[in-house]
Amino acid sequence: MRLLKVSKMQTVMDKGGNGGPPMPLKKMRKELVPRKERATIGQFEVENPRMSCRNVDVYYNHGEKKAINNINLDIGRNEVIAMIGPSGCGKSTFLRCLNRMNDTIDGCRVTGTITIDNKNIYGKDVDVVPLRAQVGMVFQKPNPFPKSIYDNIAYGPKIHGLVQNRDETDGLVEQSLRRAGLWKEVKDRLDQPGTGLSGGQQQRLCIARTIAVNPEVILMDEPCSALDPIATAIIEDLIDELKQDYAIAIVTHSMQQASRVSQRTAYFHLGDLIEVGPTDQIFLNPLHQLTEDYITGRFG
Amino acid sequence: MNKSENMASSAQGRQLRTMDIVNRGLARRYRAERRFKRFGLSAILLSLAFLAVLFISIFANGYTAFQQTFIQLEVFLDPLKIDKEDLGSANYQGLVRESLAKTFPAVKNRADKRKLYGMVSSGASFDLRKFVQKNRHEIGNTIRIWVPADDDVDMLIKGHILRDVPESERRMDDTQIAWVDHFQHQLRIKQEFNMTFFTGGDSREPELAGIWGAVCGSLYTLLVTLCLSFPIGVATAIYLEEFAPTNRWTDVVEVNINNLAAVPSIVFGLLGLAVFLNFFGLPRSAPLVGGLVLTLMTLPTIIIAGRASLKSVPPSIREAALGIGASKTQMVAHHVLPLAMPGMLTGTIIGMAQALGETAPLLMIGMVAFIVDIPGGFTDPATVLPVQIFLWADSPERAFLEKTSAAIMVLLLFLVIMNGLAVVLRKKFERRW
Amino acid sequence: MKKVLIAVFALTLGVVFGLGTGIGFASSSRDYISIVGSSTVYPFATVVAEKFGKITAFKTPKIESTGSGGGHKLFGSGVGVQYPDITNSSRRIKKSELEKAMANGVKEIVEVKIGYDGIVIANSKKGPSFQLTRKDLFLALAKNVPTGDEAGKLTPNPYKTWKEVNALLPDVKIEVLGPPPTSGTRDAFVELAMEGGADEIDWIKALAKTDKKAYQALCQTIREDGAYIEAGENDNLIVQKLSANPAALGIFGFSYLDQNTDKIQGSLVDGVSPTFEAIADGSYPVSRPLYFYVKKVHVQTIPGMKEFLAEFTSEKAWGEEGYLTDKGLIPMPEAERKLFKENVATLKPLSLGDL
Ligand SMILES: Nc1ncnc2c1ncn2[C@@H]1O[C@H](COP(=O)(O)OP(=O)(O)O)[C@@H](O)[C@H]1O
Ligand SMILES: [Mg+2]
Repeated sequence: MRLLKVSKMQTVMDKGGNGGPPMPLKKMRKELVPRKERATIGQFEVENPRMSCRNVDVYYNHGEKKAINNINLDIGRNEVIAMIGPSGCGKSTFLRCLNRMNDTIDGCRVTGTITIDNKNIYGKDVDVVPLRAQVGMVFQKPNPFPKSIYDNIAYGPKIHGLVQNRDETDGLVEQSLRRAGLWKEVKDRLDQPGTGLSGGQQQRLCIARTIAVNPEVILMDEPCSALDPIATAIIEDLIDELKQDYAIAIVTHSMQQASRVSQRTAYFHLGDLIEVGPTDQIFLNPLHQLTEDYITGRFG
Repeated sequence: MNKSENMASSAQGRQLRTMDIVNRGLARRYRAERRFKRFGLSAILLSLAFLAVLFISIFANGYTAFQQTFIQLEVFLDPLKIDKEDLGSANYQGLVRESLAKTFPAVKNRADKRKLYGMVSSGASFDLRKFVQKNRHEIGNTIRIWVPADDDVDMLIKGHILRDVPESERRMDDTQIAWVDHFQHQLRIKQEFNMTFFTGGDSREPELAGIWGAVCGSLYTLLVTLCLSFPIGVATAIYLEEFAPTNRWTDVVEVNINNLAAVPSIVFGLLGLAVFLNFFGLPRSAPLVGGLVLTLMTLPTIIIAGRASLKSVPPSIREAALGIGASKTQMVAHHVLPLAMPGMLTGTIIGMAQALGETAPLLMIGMVAFIVDIPGGFTDPATVLPVQIFLWADSPERAFLEKTSAAIMVLLLFLVIMNGLAVVLRKKFERRW
Repeated sequence: MKKVLIAVFALTLGVVFGLGTGIGFASSSRDYISIVGSSTVYPFATVVAEKFGKITAFKTPKIESTGSGGGHKLFGSGVGVQYPDITNSSRRIKKSELEKAMANGVKEIVEVKIGYDGIVIANSKKGPSFQLTRKDLFLALAKNVPTGDEAGKLTPNPYKTWKEVNALLPDVKIEVLGPPPTSGTRDAFVELAMEGGADEIDWIKALAKTDKKAYQALCQTIREDGAYIEAGENDNLIVQKLSANPAALGIFGFSYLDQNTDKIQGSLVDGVSPTFEAIADGSYPVSRPLYFYVKKVHVQTIPGMKEFLAEFTSEKAWGEEGYLTDKGLIPMPEAERKLFKENVATLKPLSLGDL
């Protein structure tokens, strides 16, 4: 398999070498940053970021294991940023730093600064409860509460006091389900358990639940990995729509998905942020050898 | 040609071999499976057989206790002997004896008279008193009243005393049996449902002994145990599982809780004696103290079951709750606890069932006692069902044998009800995720 | 769900409140008599208590079966409602127990003997009947026995059958079911039967005067090679085991023989059969007195004490034809009954010198 790929690549390069207009791939290849170089390449800063991370390290098991290493990355307003990389490279770990979900893991320590609207979320006076209302999260496995569809959506607004009465709640539930594209399918069975929906519906229910508290940032950790292509397409459309209002950080294993939904892409490798840049550039003209290896399928 | 044939045959050979190996192994695997199934089945059958033997022997010994023999007496309510102003103090025993003596006027000698008076229960005079207090207009008349027979008569009627053994080896001699026959001939002996057994307190007369006192004692004790151990156990489990940091201290606590679950129950009795009785000065033999001691005993069970069921709540539910900004307490109260509740309730009921069957720790705090009056509160002296069984099993009177078995049946019934309740609760609160 | 939780928490509060009142109880009074002590006296005391509860307006006394030693310990712990009023004992109070009680403030204790209990050695009616002597019992059951005539020489008990012990006895394996060392019946058996039997050997009798410790060790240590089987405190169990095993003998209280005459027979001891009459007139050698002890100060403070004592010591209870004899108590001779009744009436306290 691998042999095959390399030989194919070889043909591409040979073609380039046989005169004619220089292929961009070949040109880049000459200037690729070698594999052992680990400093982040590309524009990790954006103007007026919503969130911004500087020198973030994460340790597990009381410092025994360093999962990610000196990450610097900004997340812009109204953009979708995709995070890709081989399994275990620390994408989820990084994502979970952004709403301090790592706090719930025993023995996990985060250093560096992460700010949202220039406010350090790891500051001493920061309360995680409002933070998580501000930075919502959708998980890999759909995890609706074992309650009715209605209660699933209404729960967040209720605990945060976003709704005062039943009418407001009803309105918010409907609105959230509509935005998640689920309203038509479930409007007649709001009182039935959320766990009784199909996988794709459940994931949209979870997205609806997240947007019901009207966050500013939505973190999605491989939201489609358990879904079929049709459900995936629906959710990708949804993400596209949601970026009007939210900043979205999405972890994905599918490069097609990343290229379809994101404006920027960050490539992680063994705990390092290797390269970050506009999605087109990352996929067409990666600057780092590791990035290219990954997107051409040489590993991962 | 030759080569390719070779190759083909060797390929085929390899294929065949694989199949052969699989097939050969298959038979063995199925055999092992069948063997295992047979082992499992026979283990279950064996335990069911033991259970059946237990139940049958208990039932065979005990079912007769639900019947009680009564003798009808003709009593002349002599107005000279009953003071109408003070109905309670008359010599009803005398009246009962008079009635028996009138039935068998031939009995003259003192020893025989004693035997004759022993035909009816010593409770007969109290029944008569109750009758007179209710029907004062009957004073002056001769009335017929059914009174409980003595336990020996009861045993004879029920066939536990055999008529065909030689007289010297029988609990009842020939004259006594003749008296019984006389009553029977006149249809003045009947067997009836033994209400006393379910409404009475303990007694040294088997025919008057009942389990209601012990049942009440058990209920009071278990109520105290439930009300203390459930909230404390659940709170402890939640704290340890959800909030406590994992450090050496919580490890120590955890190890100790597991140790406590294995400590012999008598130790809790000693602890209860030292702490609740000697230090706090709580009353001996009180269900309150019994409940406290059993709380100590059941707490580890509940905590361990509670932690296990908290652990079994999938982490995705916790993440979901935290992810939309629920606080830890909200996460636990709104999502984790409802899911863990069936397991916790099951653990609690199993702990309660254990507590219901416990006698050893109660010995130390004075609940192994002869208590006649039905306890009316948490500080009244009381005993519990298993203790009642133990006390009856230790009584010399033959008739207590069937009472013992009957009481065991009642205890088993309670256990079955409690375990059934555990299943029902689990079904009711169980949710899938 | 919420309702259930709320209910449980409300009840918890209730219990905690109850605890408060319970602690308050300690300083308040008690309206029932609290009795502890010997499991041998228990069947008799309970009958009296039940009768007393029925015929008087007082509550029925509470009786715990704690064993004689346990009873004295509880009884002698102090004066006050949290301590028992009466303790039953299948032996006389020990000097050390009385001293301890006095040290704890229980200055005046009234001793009441209530009658006798015979300890019977019985076997199934299907087996042979035994005519034992106390010496036979000693030789068959002691851990170490003298062999030959040489004084002071002991060997581990070699006897396997009764015939080896005494040629007149049946050729049956020695197999005796009896109570464990915690039991008062065992104490009494060792003292009355084993010591009595040992005393028939002259040098052992002499030993009692010279070396009391060695004497007691010799007489009171029961063999542990399986010939004596500790069958637990439950005498009913022993009776059942005897019917199942006709070769075995059992040791238990007379009332269990009395209740099971159809199944088991009592062995003669020193030629006397364990009958009601023989125990009452003292001719049956293995019998012991039963007692209860009363805290004098409690007679005034606990309601019903006087009446309960009167009921217990009445002729219709402990007399020759009293209801306690129906339960297997062997009554005292009339003079003795009169003496103790008087002691009770005057609440004559026991002094250390009496023991
Ligand atoms: N709770 C944890 N405790 C210890 N190590 C962890 C934990 N979660 C993740 N890791 C480790 O951290 C590294 C990054 O994991 P993760 O962020 O889940 O990778 P991915 O990029 O596949 O999402 C992996 O090596 C993983 O083994
Ligand atoms: Mg991941």
